[in-house]
Amino acid sequence: MGIVSLTINGRPVEVEAGTTVLEAARTAGINIPTICAHKDLNPYGSCRMCIVEIEGVRGYPTSCTTPVAPGMRVTTESERLATLRNRTLELMFSGHPNSCLVCLHREACEQYRPQAVKAARSTRCGFCANRDECDLRAMALRAGSKELDLPTLYGSYTLERNDPFMDRDYNLCVLCGRCWRICEKIHGQPAISIINRGKWARIGTAFSQSHLYSGCTFCGACIDICPTGTLTDRFARWHGKPDREIASTCLLCSEGCSIISQSKQGQLLANVMIGFDRTDSLCALGRFAYAQIVNTGLRLIRPMEREGEDLIPTDWEAALETAAARLLTAKKKTATVISETITREERFLYKELTRCLGGELFVLQSSENEDNAVAAALAAAVQKGDIQALIVNGALLPAAVVEQIPFVLAIDCLPSEISRLATVVLPAAILSETEGSFRTSSGVIKNIAAASVAPGYARPEWSILCDLGRAMKFDGFSFQTAAEVGDLISDDPAPEIFAGNPRHNVRELPLRFRGHDLVDIVPALDAFSPLHSVKAAQIEETADGGFPILEKKEIVPNMHFYKIHAPQVAGFAQPGQFVILMARETSERSPFTLVDWNKEEGWISLVIEEVGRSSRELASLQTGGRIAHVSGPLGMPLTIERKGTVLLGGGCYGIGAIYPLARALHQAGNRVICAIEASSSYLLYQQAELQEVCDELLVATKDGSAGVRGGVQEILSWVAGQEPIHQFIAIGCTFMMRMVTELSRTLKIPTLVALNPIMVDGTGMCGACRVSIDKTTRFACIDGPIFDGHGVDWDELASRRSAYARQEVEALSQQVDLNELVLRPAGESCGCGGH
Amino acid sequence: MPNNQDLAPILAGYERTRENLIPLLQEVQDRFHYLSVESVQAVADHLQLSANDVYGVATFYAQFRFVPPGRHHIKVCEGTACHVRGSDRILENISRLTGIVPGQTSADGQFSLERVACFGSCALAPVMVIDEKVYGRMTASKTTRLIEDKK
Repeated sequence: MGIVSLTINGRPVEVEAGTTVLEAARTAGINIPTICAHKDLNPYGSCRMCIVEIEGVRGYPTSCTTPVAPGMRVTTESERLATLRNRTLELMFSGHPNSCLVCLHREACEQYRPQAVKAARSTRCGFCANRDECDLRAMALRAGSKELDLPTLYGSYTLERNDPFMDRDYNLCVLCGRCWRICEKIHGQPAISIINRGKWARIGTAFSQSHLYSGCTFCGACIDICPTGTLTDRFARWHGKPDREIASTCLLCSEGCSIISQSKQGQLLANVMIGFDRTDSLCALGRFAYAQIVNTGLRLIRPMEREGEDLIPTDWEAALETAAARLLTAKKKTATVISETITREERFLYKELTRCLGGELFVLQSSENEDNAVAAALAAAVQKGDIQALIVNGALLPAAVVEQIPFVLAIDCLPSEISRLATVVLPAAILSETEGSFRTSSGVIKNIAAASVAPGYARPEWSILCDLGRAMKFDGFSFQTAAEVGDLISDDPAPEIFAGNPRHNVRELPLRFRGHDLVDIVPALDAFSPLHSVKAAQIEETADGGFPILEKKEIVPNMHFYKIHAPQVAGFAQPGQFVILMARETSERSPFTLVDWNKEEGWISLVIEEVGRSSRELASLQTGGRIAHVSGPLGMPLTIERKGTVLLGGGCYGIGAIYPLARALHQAGNRVICAIEASSSYLLYQQAELQEVCDELLVATKDGSAGVRGGVQEILSWVAGQEPIHQFIAIGCTFMMRMVTELSRTLKIPTLVALNPIMVDGTGMCGACRVSIDKTTRFACIDGPIFDGHGVDWDELASRRSAYARQEVEALSQQVDLNELVLRPAGESCGCGGH
Repeated sequence: MPNNQDLAPILAGYERTRENLIPLLQEVQDRFHYLSVESVQAVADHLQLSANDVYGVATFYAQFRFVPPGRHHIKVCEGTACHVRGSDRILENISRLTGIVPGQTSADGQFSLERVACFGSCALAPVMVIDEKVYGRMTASKTTRLIEDKK
């Protein structure tokens, strides 16, 4: 390979022959924008952002696919190139929701709402989990323009959730092909490909079957290489950008794959591969399930000691004291049974402790459950009374054996039959919460780094064992760090090779951790079980009783219309009131404004935006289904008076919510102007219905694709300039209501807003919906929801509304859409590719 | 639905190289009139490709079908000449009569519908073809009679 000399932007550059112009420019510190290019992928040349001018070469070649040649004179920046790149970006954005990028109020909105809304489909950056990491957005913001000349063509693909771990929103896809290319690179035969052609081209699987059947091994590389928010890890999706990445090792089987653990504020979000190479690939457990295991709400979080029938929470000191005292009485009659899914240091200390007690240590493989060879051997010894004490770190023995042992010390992370029978239970930090080293089945010693904080009072096993050893006055347990322990280990054997090959076959995953069945912790793993269709059918059956859904449809992305049979509510409903719904008996209560009702026919209608767990549960119900509870009508109705000209402003769900107010105010003889806003034209709805009940309907969109460019705010200014407004009423997101209220204050227009704080009972008992109006505390549920907009303490409302942001993200269901899997088995697509 | 055994003689005629993908798909479709899930998988296995890859290639080309055709296969020309002479009205009429859109097969298996770019019979525009028989200078009422006859 020779050295090639060329000039880029007039600067001489020397690179090896075979280098691409793009790489050469990067070597010289010259940045060329790219989307489809990636350092770990072969040149592809699909996005055309990296075009350059080369003297003597016709047109604008893509630098990522053009090899350098001697004497080449390359220009990477020119007015012409900038225009062409901006055109390319515009073309890409015509198929990618972009309203936030052209919105006149983006900066204020993003400051007000630092976290993206956890919507189902991402219809704008503000609804996108990838907002802070999006290459496309970064590029558009760098270009600086707020003008996009091309119309938005929203894809209208449904959000795909028919696999255990991914949310796929192909409405965001720009077809850069990084995903299928990395899949092909790592796995040889890709589990995804570009299907169909032209406008209908998209990433998909053969016959649009679930990834479960397309050969996907769930290594997550496609998610990690996607430059947009199209592909996301369902668990990590709404947690935001990780604030820490640290190299570590997976402990779930003896293969000990290298991982990068990503965490945020001490919470593990995901493990990703150390590089985009075949040898770096991870199995579904290592990539996706790890964080769910660590973060499960089932974890043991405090030491416990048995008192009679009960396990009573206690402190570490007391628990260790009891354990030490009881173990010392069972010297030479102690068995220690541990899972190999711990660090070398911990394994060493278990060995040392057992040796000091004169007992015997048994180490089990990661895939073992309670019925194993060790259990059989121990059963006999227990029968003979040879075992008086047991130290166990998982659900590794059958209850029948354990209950015959006088003293059981469980050092574990999850409750099990054993921890329920134990005398002392000590909560252990696991996986990403501990540190040390791990010897893989191939004999290599790898580092384990602590990437997340253990829950509650849980502590790493090495430190528990040190304390236990010291409490029994054994020598050799005075270690301050795991590393000090590690220094003493020299001759530990490599663990047995794990029998399966989970990185290449999802059916060979070790679905156990310390003997615990992982399906109980990571529900989505159930999708790997052949029985999932049976369980899906059971989900259907739970809907009995409740309120029948007469009609349900998604009118625009994320916005669901419901017509519900609820005669009691319909009989008493008045404009401005709301109902509280519970999708299922176990759902949380959530309030929704009434859109319409019919006393005679006994129905009510609602528009619900899918932005969290409760609304997702509601959205999953269909026509003919039932809503477990509908209580209402609640709240104070709007006082309907003849005021003159009334302007009603509605955004998002507010477009539906202003409808009954418009109708009543119109009937009362007011001149009613309805102003509705949406991000883009494809998100507008209910225009015909509103037209019928108002004198004038004005539309605004953030991207200018329909009506005025802007929002209710812009319409308010315009109308105020045309005619006097006697009353202004705004319903929508808190940001919109706040902005328009500030404007109407300067315009001196009396303003009412319908507030949407977190609400629980809706009857004034719990106080969750407390708001401050003119420095007085009011309850939105019984004093509102409609209040004088100029008196609202918006900062307080915003902070109260976001008080449970993290819990709300954690509450999002990780279940697979089993019904979708059952309803659309492989090969039943119509074959038209969604035309 | 073809099983792998039926495909074996066809597959045997092709070397296991990627270049053979399209000719192989064409022969499979000639024999079975469409590409089933099983045949796409069998072709993929034969050429050591992923079924997703094969499906991706096949869906790129208008000539491949993924649902069994009906007893009567209707092709409507949407080429320039036919288009200016109102082929969209003919297509619309057929969709109304059969309840299917291009790419689909009616539930009773009687009809399938396909949109075609040009038959080279522009002098006869607008043109449609039912079961390889060409019908020229079509009108909505003529198509109605044709379809009713075949029902």
